[in-house]
Amino acid sequence: MNKTKNQAHIYGAAVEMSWMDASQSLTDLIFSGVTAALKDADMTLEAADSIVLGASDLIDGRSLSSMVTAPAAGAYMKDEIRLSEDGLAAASFGAARIEAGESQVTVVAAWGRASEGDPLAVSRAGSDPFLHQPLCISEMDVSAFRLSRWLGRYPDNDASRRAASAERQRRAAGNPHALHSVTAPRDVPYPLREDESCRWGDVVAAMVIGKAPGKVLISGVGHGTDHADLGERDLLEMPALRDAARLSLDAAGINLSDVGLFEIDGMTLSDEALSAEAVGLCPAGDGFRALAERQDINPSGGSEAGWCYPAMGLVRLIEAYQMLRAPQGPDGPRRAMATGLGGGGAQTATAIVLEKT
Amino acid sequence: MTDRIAIAGVGQTVYRRRHSDKNSAELVREAATAALEDANIGLDGIDLIVGGVAPDALAGIHNIDLLSISRPGIPYFRINTGGATGSSALLAGMTWIASGRAKAVLVVAAERMGHATTAQSIFNSIFDPIYEKDISMSTISMVALRATMLMQKYGFTSDHWAGLAARNSAVAMLNDTVDNPRFFTKDQVRSSAVLAWPIHLLEACPTSEGACAVVLMSDPNVGDRKAAWIHGTGALSDTYAMGDRFHRPEGSLVNLVTLERSAAKAYSEAGVTDPLNDLDMVEIQAPFASSEVMAYLGLGLCDGNDAVAFTERAIDGTAGIAIQPSGGPQACNPVSATALIRITEAALQIQGKAGRRQLDGIRRTISTGQGGATQFSTAVILGNERP
Repeated sequence: MNKTKNQAHIYGAAVEMSWMDASQSLTDLIFSGVTAALKDADMTLEAADSIVLGASDLIDGRSLSSMVTAPAAGAYMKDEIRLSEDGLAAASFGAARIEAGESQVTVVAAWGRASEGDPLAVSRAGSDPFLHQPLCISEMDVSAFRLSRWLGRYPDNDASRRAASAERQRRAAGNPHALHSVTAPRDVPYPLREDESCRWGDVVAAMVIGKAPGKVLISGVGHGTDHADLGERDLLEMPALRDAARLSLDAAGINLSDVGLFEIDGMTLSDEALSAEAVGLCPAGDGFRALAERQDINPSGGSEAGWCYPAMGLVRLIEAYQMLRAPQGPDGPRRAMATGLGGGGAQTATAIVLEKT
Repeated sequence: MTDRIAIAGVGQTVYRRRHSDKNSAELVREAATAALEDANIGLDGIDLIVGGVAPDALAGIHNIDLLSISRPGIPYFRINTGGATGSSALLAGMTWIASGRAKAVLVVAAERMGHATTAQSIFNSIFDPIYEKDISMSTISMVALRATMLMQKYGFTSDHWAGLAARNSAVAMLNDTVDNPRFFTKDQVRSSAVLAWPIHLLEACPTSEGACAVVLMSDPNVGDRKAAWIHGTGALSDTYAMGDRFHRPEGSLVNLVTLERSAAKAYSEAGVTDPLNDLDMVEIQAPFASSEVMAYLGLGLCDGNDAVAFTERAIDGTAGIAIQPSGGPQACNPVSATALIRITEAALQIQGKAGRRQLDGIRRTISTGQGGATQFSTAVILGNERP
């Protein structure tokens, strides 16, 4: 890590996914997720001195989301702060509090309830109001632009696309966190296919981290930022994610080949494939093939298991943490990387490297 | 607080009701460029940018910060804690430095609420969607509840609210960051329209737009810059439900328990034992006069028995400590930036760069941030010497 005197360890975590559960308010869902994470850590809220949240006002349908939701995440009389960012950025900030010596135990939580706050409609409101909003460009459209450009450069990949889609459905079916029922329609713009979209979900992710040694260490963190204007970006290279991944490895003092497990965030299958390329897991043009063939990339099933911004980077981190923690043979992975993409068509990105202690 | 960190540069735009001639990126550029120049550092020396933007709905653009504050190639994230956003963003920047991840951080908070059709409709939607939205709860009616309770509990009158508003308006005439400052007398405040009794129109903070930027640096990198050093900080979050705060043992609705505890932590870190004597100046994130009085109590500048008398001394300028030399948020209140402005104003006073509003002998200050239903509190103590 950048500074060695304090490091953040993970004590417990939980992911809870549901869909349109009328018996649960948003605050009920958040309370349940944070409670489950504390239980997994075998801790009570009294042990935590800090709360870090990742949440979006407009997706939560409240002009100041954390006003109502922070207490449900355990923030009462604690040093609580909210990032309007993907949950992995919140996890990174939570780790920074530990590294800075500001906190002994921090709860990190992020959520998104797609059944109430339409993430795509919200994302359309994030474009420049004069030049782009009239075009109604959403995050899904950006994903389609990205795939369209990719197909133009690598046209002969239909078999690997279909294989990757089938493989992630198989993996999601075996994921205990995953949603398996039909949720919202998976309408997508061309050239995306319906089965390549995410399974929309109501998602709460929570993690308990702290200074005292635990079974898994946050050993590297990296952040990247791209241009705001889509027209100025290289949609295939994804430099924000590329930078984040590289910096997280540098901070951990390791190479990509030292990492044995990857949980890669992406709203669609093609976002996951192109992200895998940007991280450096395969040559450009081989992203779908890598997802289809490599068991160390998104064993959770990725966004097929359930997805709603801005919880998903933290979900990926928790999936990686739980797989590292699970019983495994001597050849099992000792290190994992999780990535998370921010709003604005992945304008910001975070990567975190985990290591078994 | 673990390491020595300083404010090495600050920059502000003018604050006005609406910047019709500038987009958000242009406002941010103006403030950020000024802060970088003040700190004598380029963007290539910045390891992280922290954005501070409160409700998206005020600007009408989701994640307006991504369009206006973030820069390609520099790590970036956004903080949003309502009215405390600016100070929370500063504390986040400090965390990044204290963790060893950064040597210099640019914190930028920007507000475009002048573009909201009706800000109070948006503020209505910060409240509970089931129980409170339909009773037209707003930030003004929320403040009116507290002002009424202060009057009942401590004996304040409408004269006190009008007196503080008039004092702040007079002081703000010297603040060149406030565009077209409003001057009014106590009688004019009292005769202005009632928004929600006992809150009068001229007591309420104006709709304000603008951007504020701060450059934070770790100690070895500050060098011989004339910096404002951060001596102590604190931040806490309260329950949202105002009804739960009426009769709880920790303090009633008008006792800012989280500010009191945040200040206590900051005082402890800074070695402040008698705030009235140990501090020279306070900048309070108080958009209304009654909010300012609640902070006097929370900061320990007075107690309940002395609250009315202290407020009267504050109005007369004889409180023994400089209060709101900028005019405070009653002069301008760009919501996302206002808590960072409180810190910036304190830094300017310490650095001797406050222009016509500069006071003599300002060596130690405290600035507050307050967000949500007076729910998120921050306290930041600055000093002219390395701690």
